[in-house]
Amino acid sequence: MKEFKREDREVKLFVGPQHPGVTGNMSFEITLEGDTLTSVKTHVGYLHRAFEKLMERRLYIQNFPLVCRICVPESDTNEENYARALEELAGIEVPERAKWIRTLVLELSRLQMFIRWMGGIAGTMGLSTAPQWAIGDRDYILDLFEELTGGRIYHIYILPGGVRRDIPEGFEERVLKVMDYIEKKLPDYDDLIFENSVFKKRLIGLSKLDPAWVEEIGVTGPVARACGFPFDVRKEQPYEIYDKLDFDIITETGCDMYSMALVRRREIDLSINLIRQIIDKMPKGEVWTPLPNVLYWKIPAGETYVKTEATRGEFGYYVVTDGSDKPRRIHVRGVSTPHAYTLLERLVPGMNISDFSVTIVGLQTCPPEIER
Amino acid sequence: MNYTLLVLIKIIVLFAWLMIFALYATLAERKVSAVIQDRHGANRAKILGISSFGIFQPFADALKMLFKEDYIPPFTDKFMFKFAPVITFFFSALVIIAIPFGEPVKIGKEIIKLQVIDPDIALLLIFALSSMSIYGIILGGWSSNNKYSFLGGMRATSQIVSYEVALILSIIGLIMVYPSLRLSEIVNYQSTLLWGWIPKWGILLQPLAFIIFIIAAIAETKRAPFDLPESESEIIGFFLEYSGIRFGVYMLTDFVETIMLSLIITTLFFGGWNIPYLFSGLKLSNGTIFSGFVFPWGKQLAISINWVSILQIIAFQIKTVIVFVFLLLVRWTFPRLRFDQLMELGWKSLIPLALFNIVVTAIIIAIV
Repeated sequence: MKEFKREDREVKLFVGPQHPGVTGNMSFEITLEGDTLTSVKTHVGYLHRAFEKLMERRLYIQNFPLVCRICVPESDTNEENYARALEELAGIEVPERAKWIRTLVLELSRLQMFIRWMGGIAGTMGLSTAPQWAIGDRDYILDLFEELTGGRIYHIYILPGGVRRDIPEGFEERVLKVMDYIEKKLPDYDDLIFENSVFKKRLIGLSKLDPAWVEEIGVTGPVARACGFPFDVRKEQPYEIYDKLDFDIITETGCDMYSMALVRRREIDLSINLIRQIIDKMPKGEVWTPLPNVLYWKIPAGETYVKTEATRGEFGYYVVTDGSDKPRRIHVRGVSTPHAYTLLERLVPGMNISDFSVTIVGLQTCPPEIER
Repeated sequence: MNYTLLVLIKIIVLFAWLMIFALYATLAERKVSAVIQDRHGANRAKILGISSFGIFQPFADALKMLFKEDYIPPFTDKFMFKFAPVITFFFSALVIIAIPFGEPVKIGKEIIKLQVIDPDIALLLIFALSSMSIYGIILGGWSSNNKYSFLGGMRATSQIVSYEVALILSIIGLIMVYPSLRLSEIVNYQSTLLWGWIPKWGILLQPLAFIIFIIAAIAETKRAPFDLPESESEIIGFFLEYSGIRFGVYMLTDFVETIMLSLIITTLFFGGWNIPYLFSGLKLSNGTIFSGFVFPWGKQLAISINWVSILQIIAFQIKTVIVFVFLLLVRWTFPRLRFDQLMELGWKSLIPLALFNIVVTAIIIAIV
């Protein structure tokens, strides 16, 4: 009789990119022993547009429709980051009001991303009520974006020197109305998701990471904050007008998936609070410093690294210019790279296959920013 | 009337009832979920411009399933692949034959029972039949030659086998209380009154058994929060490779199983066709035969015996629909459990509780 070795009991499965539990554009090669995962290998490349290389052969202004494709659901972070890098290199002064409007757009974008995430995490656990609510409520924010920028997903609103146009009349009241509505809906989400016994049962203790990994791998954002690390670029290196707003860094101590979920839940409250503050304090004035003819716009040689706090963590642009009308080199620091590769590989061994898609969505990976 | 002909007519009527209920159950699920999720739900299927809340939607769905390509992947076990959905559907639909839909009615001289067969082991029969249906699932998952569907089939098997134990153990409490395993007698027993005013419904006599039964039974029907065999965000499910009408049969079986569960719960725990205080053929103290309401405070309301039968049949349907909608609400409110948590719930919570229920029931019976 043939003797069975350990390797014989292992099954190899390919998850994604067409798997309903994966966020798309990304596949995983997992090894199963029974119901338990033993290892994982991440494959990206289903969206290989070569963003960084493509940007080198386009004019500075032509890159704006491109950068917002790096992480589709949260395009404003990319635009703001890229615009700020160019402003720094070209020495353009941004009007005060434009900075406030930019921050408003960033916070709205963060808010819709977190609401969408709330639906996503519940959806991977088979609760399809939450995604339907979340997508519906997110639409009100997208409506605001449409009114402000003309686009719902890709805004191309933040340009070097300010923003494309001033906010429309009565826009502030409409934003506040949507904030009131979302604040009214949040207790329902709490009942359905965060207070749900099954949800707690599944997420508490799931994908518990060693706090030592946070600095070793370069984990940022809600994942790091769930381990008690107060990493928040908005507070560490305040950009735009975050230094004029009053807020605290949100941390939890559990270091597991439930703490990450709670961090994100509290971030929603924080975002609403910040949006209220911004609308309250927003000054009057110009919104755009006119640029020279952008088709012949040359930026003097130099290099810079600017970073923002995206919903997933620290998001950065490293831009090198050589005095021509095209960037010499652009490197994007995608947040998901350490999360979806190293962290996932360390979290997976011993995990049940049911928790795999929950973990991917819980780390909030965004495949295009890995394969940029 | 010829016995065979009668049974044949009953089967045809019941099957038609079941199919219509199952088709509209799909619509009900879509509509209930739509209400929960702040949507409108299916309302686009129209005939001659009339859509009226999507009442034609089930037929549109069924037609779509029929006309889809019926693709059988290579390297499958062809015979088993084709046969598996039929097994599941057959056994889960067969449960209906033992369910009493109403009190026996008198047409002319003939007394017709409103159920196809009335065996004295009906209670065991229905659970035996419903547990047979897992063969279709494991064979479907296995013969697909796909690792995902194989995992789904394996999950289904272990889940259903585990929860069968809790299910049957919770039934034992009922068997101790009820005088017979014959379903019609169980319903008759539930029609009598405890202390002259409480109807002896199963849910009132055996509340703990009801809770255990409903949890175990939702797990048996593989619906959320126990839909691990088909958990679409994890392993997609045992019917991953199925398409067209074969997939449709699996989907329909899902609803048929839920309907059967509603029927069984209604029969065992909610008094079947019984309406409290409504009696037919009650012998009064002065010797006359009375049918109608007799309330505990002494008021009487006479209703003709035909109307009593009709009311009882309607009451049975309404109870079934209420239980069914309750099951839908559960489905859309809870996330899915992990597999080890599912097993823990079954073996460590439900089975000890069911045993505890048996002991308590035995003590109470011994005292009373």
